[in-house]
Amino acid sequence: MTWGLGEGVYEVFARKNRGEPLRHIGYIDAPGDELARVYAWKTYDEENWFEMCVVPRRAVIPVNRLEGPWARNLPEGTE
Amino acid sequence: MPEYTEDELKARIRGGHILESPDEMTPGYRRAIIVQLTVQADTELISAPAYWLAARHAPSTNTQVSAHAIIQDELAHANIAYRLLEDMGVSKEQLVYGREPHEFKHPYGFDQPLDNWAELVVANGFFDRAGITLLSDVHRNTSYGPLKRALIKVDMEETFHLRHGEVWMRRLARAGGAATELLQRCVDWMFPMTIEWFGLPDGLKRHSGQLDYQLKGLTNDELRQVWMSSTVPLCESLGLSVPAHYDEGREEYVLDYPFPCQYDPEAKHWLFDDGEITWDAVFERWKGRGPMNEIYVESVRRSRGTVSAWLN
Repeated sequence: MTWGLGEGVYEVFARKNRGEPLRHIGYIDAPGDELARVYAWKTYDEENWFEMCVVPRRAVIPVNRLEGPWARNLPEGTE
Repeated sequence: MPEYTEDELKARIRGGHILESPDEMTPGYRRAIIVQLTVQADTELISAPAYWLAARHAPSTNTQVSAHAIIQDELAHANIAYRLLEDMGVSKEQLVYGREPHEFKHPYGFDQPLDNWAELVVANGFFDRAGITLLSDVHRNTSYGPLKRALIKVDMEETFHLRHGEVWMRRLARAGGAATELLQRCVDWMFPMTIEWFGLPDGLKRHSGQLDYQLKGLTNDELRQVWMSSTVPLCESLGLSVPAHYDEGREEYVLDYPFPCQYDPEAKHWLFDDGEITWDAVFERWKGRGPMNEIYVESVRRSRGTVSAWLN
């Protein structure tokens, strides 16, 4: 899905320190992977993250829940 | 669409139920949270140009950096709240670029010019304190999971803004002379401005649903008390006078001026001597918006059309 400037949604994951879980910390809108990396790093600057990554929302495929933010990514014919 | 009624959802929420996606919302819940998030997003967004224009008065490169770090935070917070709205099917595009300036839902306080460094730091000390009072209550109580998680970052950063405001208020108060006089003038118009920000007293409050759906925990009057319980002692410790005091008998803070009362935005002066006015008169003033409304709104979106035209 795109908007005025051709932006899509990216989920942002980060871990504070070695040994800690990778946690979903938020989301940003960006027109592509390169700017998604920049926007995520600049937006979620409340910690000195050991690791951060972004995932296009369209790439998250739900396993057990048929509703929620990723429901539209369910493989066709899922019941 | 959920298979429960409004009352069934309220009962579940009272039992600790957390909603995790918009498709679990009833129409009443959806309406209430859209109002709440729109006010939150617009307030964060419009605080940015208000602080940005004031940041020109920063007295050093270090203070420029901290002022702009605050502005960057506010824009990120706005973005996060608009993104939550987008997930509910509300268009961020329409909200940010499709409305008239007077249709934004930020408080009247952010329609006012901040004309010097003292006004910027008191805005951090008072307005951001109001922000954290409201949002930390939402964080503790909200029944909407995605918002609760988003507010972890927001609360952390608003606390930094507040510290920035308080540290600088302390410096200016200690300086004495012109600095302290200016600080007092800021307090004189910004204290009642923030008091009014919390809205209608509980006795007059129209039913909003935000408490029923547990989108927040405290009432307007309770939030006003929380704000005063930090702000009044801070100002007193700095030798600044504020039109409120703690009443031992009532065990609460009470205002020493007619509330609500009229405001002269050109003079930045509250007309205490003209006495109490009705809340209808306050809403009338809010609806008319303040002197910087159009300038602030346009300053965050003036290049949108040009750049979109280049790209499309």
